[in-house]
Amino acid sequence: MTAGQYFSLIDTMARLSLKAEAQRYYLGYLWWVLEPLLWVGVFYVVFFQLLGTRTPDFLMFLAVGKLMFIWFSKTVNYAGNSLTTNAGLIGRMDLPKSLFPLTVVLECSYRQVAVFLLLFVLIVTDGFSPSMLWFWLFPLLIVQLLLIVFCSCVAAVLVAFQRDFGLLINLGMVFLMFVSGVFWDIRDIANMAAADALLTWNPIAFLLHSYRQVLLWGEVPDGWHLLNLGLFSLVAMLVTLRLMQRYGAHVARRVVSA
Amino acid sequence: MSAVIRLEGVTMSFGLSGANSGEHQVLNNLDLEIRQGERIGLVGRNGAGKSTLLRVIGGIFPPATGKVWRHPDKTVALLSLGLGFKGDLSGRDNALLAAMLQGMSRREARKRLEAIGEFTELGDFYDQPVKTYSSGMRSRLGFATGLLLDTDILLLDEILAVGDHLFRQKARLALKELLSPDKTVILVHHIEQAIKETCHRALWLEGGKIRQDGAVPDVLAVYAAET
Repeated sequence: MTAGQYFSLIDTMARLSLKAEAQRYYLGYLWWVLEPLLWVGVFYVVFFQLLGTRTPDFLMFLAVGKLMFIWFSKTVNYAGNSLTTNAGLIGRMDLPKSLFPLTVVLECSYRQVAVFLLLFVLIVTDGFSPSMLWFWLFPLLIVQLLLIVFCSCVAAVLVAFQRDFGLLINLGMVFLMFVSGVFWDIRDIANMAAADALLTWNPIAFLLHSYRQVLLWGEVPDGWHLLNLGLFSLVAMLVTLRLMQRYGAHVARRVVSA
Repeated sequence: MSAVIRLEGVTMSFGLSGANSGEHQVLNNLDLEIRQGERIGLVGRNGAGKSTLLRVIGGIFPPATGKVWRHPDKTVALLSLGLGFKGDLSGRDNALLAAMLQGMSRREARKRLEAIGEFTELGDFYDQPVKTYSSGMRSRLGFATGLLLDTDILLLDEILAVGDHLFRQKARLALKELLSPDKTVILVHHIEQAIKETCHRALWLEGGKIRQDGAVPDVLAVYAAET
């Protein structure tokens, strides 16, 4: 399979999957933006109306955090099951196994384009104006995508070898949401060392913080850390894809017998 | 004719996952040589290891022990029915996907869609979701998308057990036309007539080993007498 065929196949599989999903529901494609909006709405009611959080511009703060977090959490959760749900196909064709998690990544990323546009509209209508700083979004999005591909492939292989990992990944995403500052501000942590450690070692916390710096606070994100995170994600992704290619037949045997 | 596939001491077992961990042995120290142009019928009871043997030959699974050698210049493909369709998508979309998964470009695949639709005799159902299909309709779609392949070694897993009597005849004819003399075929089928029509060598697989290997009438006679 050539690279061109591979990407064309991923693209077709992702589009057809989105089409099938939209046909399942009455509101169809509208759910792409409706679901994330509902999440933001519920969090807003709980943390702003009921608990009275004092984070400034809380609605936009929350929208940036939650909408960018969903891209990561949804993709990795779905990708975790991508090999096991395609066991029928994997058992009868010798296909590259990375095809399945990568299709999920592309599918969720197409959906994220709509979410991202929604976020722009929200931010601009709320009075924030675009600036040169917004060019930082390109490297931020690329690094997040690399990280998503890496984590999605690892999740898919783990679940293929032992289904229990599927539950752990689901739980892990909830834990990650709590420790990544989706609905609270890392700058509110009194202990500076703890806040620094969180931004250094939790890539999602760092990315969400950086998106807010660029979109809401007019600050330049930590480019050096972003570069390191990008390089790490790239190498980790390439190594994982190579291993999946090398041990694809072992993965197939495991998927089919599970 | 030269050998295209050689299996030496192949053992295959599946590890069971979840709470029922352990190993289930499917192929047991199996030797086999297949030459170019041979048409082999594979018979045996359910669970004898027929489908697993096809998958080991096709390179989908590695053997647990032993060696599998395939001629490096020959392409191999496994066709089986029923699995791999996406129920929410139409027959047409599934056919597009199946053609692309078999290595066609999107443009090539699109060109074939009408011909596939015609062969399946699905009519308006071709544009309906596959989940609304009867099992016969699914099988017809599976057969028609499988026929697209142009490979040197074809592994066919119950692919002729399709739809009603008339469609089965049509399917066998289509397969005959597709098979030039230099193509190698291994056919798993529970209807002996299909094996008699298509194959000249038969293998009887039992307990993960080859119980008998020889001309089709001889092997089928012993198999029928003992099962």
